[in-house]
Amino acid sequence: MNALEKITLILNRVMIWIGGCFLVAMILLTCTNIFLRLVWVPVGGTYELMGFFGAVATAFALGYTQIKKGHISVDVLVLSFSKNTRRILNVINSLICTAFFAFVAWQIAKYAGVLRSSGEVTETLGIIYHPFAYAVSAGCGVLALTFLVEFLKSLISGKEGE
Amino acid sequence: MSLALVGVIGILVLLFVLFFVGMPVGFAMAIVGFAGYCYVLNFKAGLGMLSTELWMTFSKYGLTVIPLFILMGQIAFYSGVNRKLYDAAYKWVGQIRGGIAMATVMACAAFSAICGSNAATAATMTTVALPEMKKFRYEPMLSTGAIACGSTLGVVIPPSVVLIVIGLYTGQSIGKLFYGGVAAGILLAILLTVTVYVVCTFRPGWGPVGEKTTFSEKLRALPGAVEMLILFLLVMLGLYYGFFTPAEAGAAGSFFALVISVVQRGLSWQGFINSIMDTLRISCMVIMIVAGATIFGKFLTVTRIPFNIAEWVTGLPVPDFLIMGIILLIFVIGGAVMDALALLLITIPIFFPVAEGMGHDPIWFSVTITVVTTLGAVTPPVGATTYVVGGMAKDVPLESVFKGVAFFLPAYILCIILLMVFPGIVTFLPNLIR
Repeated sequence: MNALEKITLILNRVMIWIGGCFLVAMILLTCTNIFLRLVWVPVGGTYELMGFFGAVATAFALGYTQIKKGHISVDVLVLSFSKNTRRILNVINSLICTAFFAFVAWQIAKYAGVLRSSGEVTETLGIIYHPFAYAVSAGCGVLALTFLVEFLKSLISGKEGE
Repeated sequence: MSLALVGVIGILVLLFVLFFVGMPVGFAMAIVGFAGYCYVLNFKAGLGMLSTELWMTFSKYGLTVIPLFILMGQIAFYSGVNRKLYDAAYKWVGQIRGGIAMATVMACAAFSAICGSNAATAATMTTVALPEMKKFRYEPMLSTGAIACGSTLGVVIPPSVVLIVIGLYTGQSIGKLFYGGVAAGILLAILLTVTVYVVCTFRPGWGPVGEKTTFSEKLRALPGAVEMLILFLLVMLGLYYGFFTPAEAGAAGSFFALVISVVQRGLSWQGFINSIMDTLRISCMVIMIVAGATIFGKFLTVTRIPFNIAEWVTGLPVPDFLIMGIILLIFVIGGAVMDALALLLITIPIFFPVAEGMGHDPIWFSVTITVVTTLGAVTPPVGATTYVVGGMAKDVPLESVFKGVAFFLPAYILCIILLMVFPGIVTFLPNLIR
């Protein structure tokens, strides 16, 4: 369990750093585009690249945001439940989310596979973009792993409580 | 089972999952929406929709505007701009009765215009302004109420993440929504400031006068605040003249906020890293809600619920203002129990077609419901901003903070009434944009 938790933490830390680099790249790319548009010609494919960079930045932050409990939930009623009920709800929540996001990761990876096999490229730059779809799939996969750790932790804490 | 009934059951299941299971809003909408879509069409269609919609949402150019504007606010936050804005406002209006509370509202308006986060504004302004008001023996109810309510202005005053998301979700111009939010935000800020004045007129002991400042001190306090004004104007005028797309405005704003912070040595390396991490966290949360709302919206569309409700409501033999009043009341109640953005994304597919069917201007409707939902940020039981202030002001009981907020509620109500009676307040500026 500890090993799995450590692996998840390391994965999320690496991904948030990569996501941060993509965020900085988005600013640099846009500002360069504005500047070059003023003095010469715009940077070709900015529109396409910004979308893909944004996808990586956001998807790679999914697990980190979950660890930081950054995803908003409506806890006005849940907070009034007993500690044990809340733990059971947490087990149900994390189990459903683990299954759902593992499934989503698989589906997006399949979609990326279709993009790869069909040799689809972007309109302006003509670059392949299935790696970005794979990146989003990886982000969802790590989120599923993060939920799995939460699920196991809730289960273990419940058993220890008993 | 009829499609409409499936749609209603879907909405009820979503509400159950949100309120009784406590699942994060974005995930709950995605899961319930996916399940409902599969039920109405078939599993294969659901699978195709799920992967395509999620990939399209994450890689959508329009959504890149969200992290870029959030980063601008985070850089301003970590570089301590709030202190300078507060100092400037304090030097100018601190010497009149209730002036420090008024300065707090003004600083909140200015800071939240750049920052855009209620919680961040509330936290920083509590740190900066509360000790000052305590020093001058301000009534804690007034001081904490002013901070909590002032902090909600960021959702209305552009660049606001809520307005960006509404714009992207309903296909409206973000620039026009921003300009619609300017007048509404300024109106609300003025009304909150007037509230402080009125309260201090009836209870002079609640807001004693602050230290006198000379004119040169007033002038000296402006640098620091002026840079943020320039940043705000850069974004707004760039959008107004069509020089920037919203995403470019966000990127340019972030870049200049960074340049200003570095030149003034207000931002440390750690502060920069923190601003990046916080930006990713907040953006991820917002975009996940948008993705969930998109999937849930797909489900609602195949059940035709939004169109049926719009047709039914517009056909009711009651005056339009009554229907709009009921819709706004639903937003008040909804805003009281859940986050503004989540509430708006859940309800917009249902109420937006109704408002359009009734002939209301979409910009007006979007800005008005944004103002209405900000109320929820300060009212119980959720009142996130009030909790932030109450949590940070250790010696002020939470009850007193809520009581303080109650003094400002007439300002919100008056603002909403004025927006309903004079829609031109919102629509005038957006109509000027080419």
